[in-house]
Amino acid sequence: MSNQTGLKQFVAKPARLPTQNEQNIIRRIRSRCFNTIGNSILTIAVVVLAWYVIRAALDWAVFDAVWHASTRRECMNISPDGACWAGVISWFNGLIYGRYPAEQQWRVNLGFILAVMWLFPLSCQKIAYRNFILLSWIALYPFFGAYLFLGGSFRGDIGIVHAVLTCLASGFFILLYTNWLLAVLNKPHLCQMLQPLASRLFNRGSQTLCLLLVWALLSLPVAVVLSQAQLQPVAIERWGGLFLTMIIATFAITMSIPIGVVLALGRQSTLPVIHWLSLLVIELVRAVPLITVLFMAVTLLPIFLPSDVELNKLSQVLFAVCIFAGAYMAENIRGGLQAIPRGQYEAAQSLGLGYGFTMLLIVLPQALRLMIPNIMTSFISILKDTTLVSIIGLFDIMLMARNIANDKDWIGLHTEPIAMISILFFVLCYSMSQYSLNLEKRLKVDRS
Amino acid sequence: MTLQNRSAPAPTLPGRAIEISGLNKWYGAHHVLRDISLDIAESEIMVVCGPSGSGKSTLIRCLNHLEEYQEGQVSVFGHPLQRNAQSNRYIHQTIGMVFQSFNLFPHLSVLQNCTLGLTWLRKKSDREARDIAMSLLDRVGIADLADRFPGQISGGQQQRVAISRSLAMEPKIMLFDEPTSALDPEMVKEVLDVMVNLAKTGMTMVCVTHEMQFARQVADRVVFMQDGEIVEVGPPEQVLLNPQWDRTKEFLDHIL
Repeated sequence: MSNQTGLKQFVAKPARLPTQNEQNIIRRIRSRCFNTIGNSILTIAVVVLAWYVIRAALDWAVFDAVWHASTRRECMNISPDGACWAGVISWFNGLIYGRYPAEQQWRVNLGFILAVMWLFPLSCQKIAYRNFILLSWIALYPFFGAYLFLGGSFRGDIGIVHAVLTCLASGFFILLYTNWLLAVLNKPHLCQMLQPLASRLFNRGSQTLCLLLVWALLSLPVAVVLSQAQLQPVAIERWGGLFLTMIIATFAITMSIPIGVVLALGRQSTLPVIHWLSLLVIELVRAVPLITVLFMAVTLLPIFLPSDVELNKLSQVLFAVCIFAGAYMAENIRGGLQAIPRGQYEAAQSLGLGYGFTMLLIVLPQALRLMIPNIMTSFISILKDTTLVSIIGLFDIMLMARNIANDKDWIGLHTEPIAMISILFFVLCYSMSQYSLNLEKRLKVDRS
Repeated sequence: MTLQNRSAPAPTLPGRAIEISGLNKWYGAHHVLRDISLDIAESEIMVVCGPSGSGKSTLIRCLNHLEEYQEGQVSVFGHPLQRNAQSNRYIHQTIGMVFQSFNLFPHLSVLQNCTLGLTWLRKKSDREARDIAMSLLDRVGIADLADRFPGQISGGQQQRVAISRSLAMEPKIMLFDEPTSALDPEMVKEVLDVMVNLAKTGMTMVCVTHEMQFARQVADRVVFMQDGEIVEVGPPEQVLLNPQWDRTKEFLDHIL
């Protein structure tokens, strides 16, 4: 066309690389920090201030600090101006495990390692029953963990339901790792291998039946082994330190999502009873400080329960923290739900997806992804809020840190333990926020 | 007059797909649909046009119960629409819908968008669902984009995915709510081509569109709406080339 009308033919210019910005660091600093007189003065003032603060902090924490001493008195004699880390070091096990018996602390370590290992297979994309990994971690691991931490034997101290669930949890763990191994080796997973056997037994090769069969088969040997085992019982009152903090925080964090989803959906419900009930729970809990919720759980909850049910303090606290975290999470999730355009509901509806499927497959996945930053903020504040349980007498990391100052050898040692747990919390919270950034990148709703 | 127009054409076609009688709808005090009565035959291609705000979209959204209406009756293959889950399930199984703004699920890949209904509602195995979805994507010419996400493909491609997603559920009737209005002019054709091909397979289609070329090419009947009322119904030659009413003429002058 263009040739016929006598116009020039269009030829695209060859692509060029962008021009290099040849600015070195010194130039960049000069152009940004010393470009005006005011900025120069500000830069110098900030640098001088930072120098004084950082040097004083480093002097206290590192250069003048005492690392080896047996009492606080000794610390003072060596260096009166420096930190006395020796006290924190000698109490370090107490900060981590609370009053858990020293010779049994391997159980806490094992429990922690297993909890992390349980989630490892998630990294494998093609593992069988990948959807169940997180679900099993939430539903089964707590029973296994409780058995491990509490100890006792199947015959005496542990109820039959708890014992069965512990065995099932162990069985699932073995199933998980066998399937992972098989998936890495590109072999069919265990259930597929046993499919012929299952179809002979039940006359039809149902996937679910087969999975249950394999699971039960794997749980049986564990049950035999565990029923012979005898772990030394450790009372809940002896749990403490970072261990207890992690239990409460993990519990609250994992439960806050389902509780939050239920409350948020309830609040949006058109059924008046459900709507007002959810609204009541959310507003009531959010209007009250956590500390009051904790006190109420400890003092009021036993009154509402039947008199023969006796709850230990930890489960009361877990209940309170979960409800509290759930109410806040509900509002986060509601924000996410409101951000989902109407068209998504309509498209789901016109495909024939009912309310449950629409929420589960379309709306919630998008809403939760949109709200990752807010949800993570809530998680971080839950983790930090758990330190409040020290006030009602649980020996969490905060109370253990304050206890150091009451030890007759380290009497009055307040600052160093607090500094220590600040560092611990910073490491935990910062890694959580970094993980959330990573998650946000990976799970972006609109991948353009 | 509308009744006469309606009963005149296409009596030879087999069974009734959709029957609308005396449909009235209000948004608050605003009367958006006024005494709409219309029958759509099986395998018929019906194009609904009219100025914006005339109630065309509302009309076809009433057909698959995305909108409630206050008076009147809509039946699909003889099943009257009711306000219960069972009726809704039947309607959504029978009627597929394509939207102006595509409404793809942005967190799922193109393939997953198409297999979602098959795996969760039709309980097909992953492989079966995948095969069905891939053959549909192949039919609309975007099988190579199956692993992309909706945000990564063009508008025309998104709309073609939306059509495949609906077709995967094997509907007997397809509703198109201005499927090309949100597209760049360059991409309109690729979507219309898919719709023309679909029309050739004998699908019953109700399309709200301003693409008069499309209407002339494939429509069996054209409905012209104004202020919530059907002004004219008839074969495209009659309504588009030889309109009886001034309002239709005026509209067509603007749009053609």
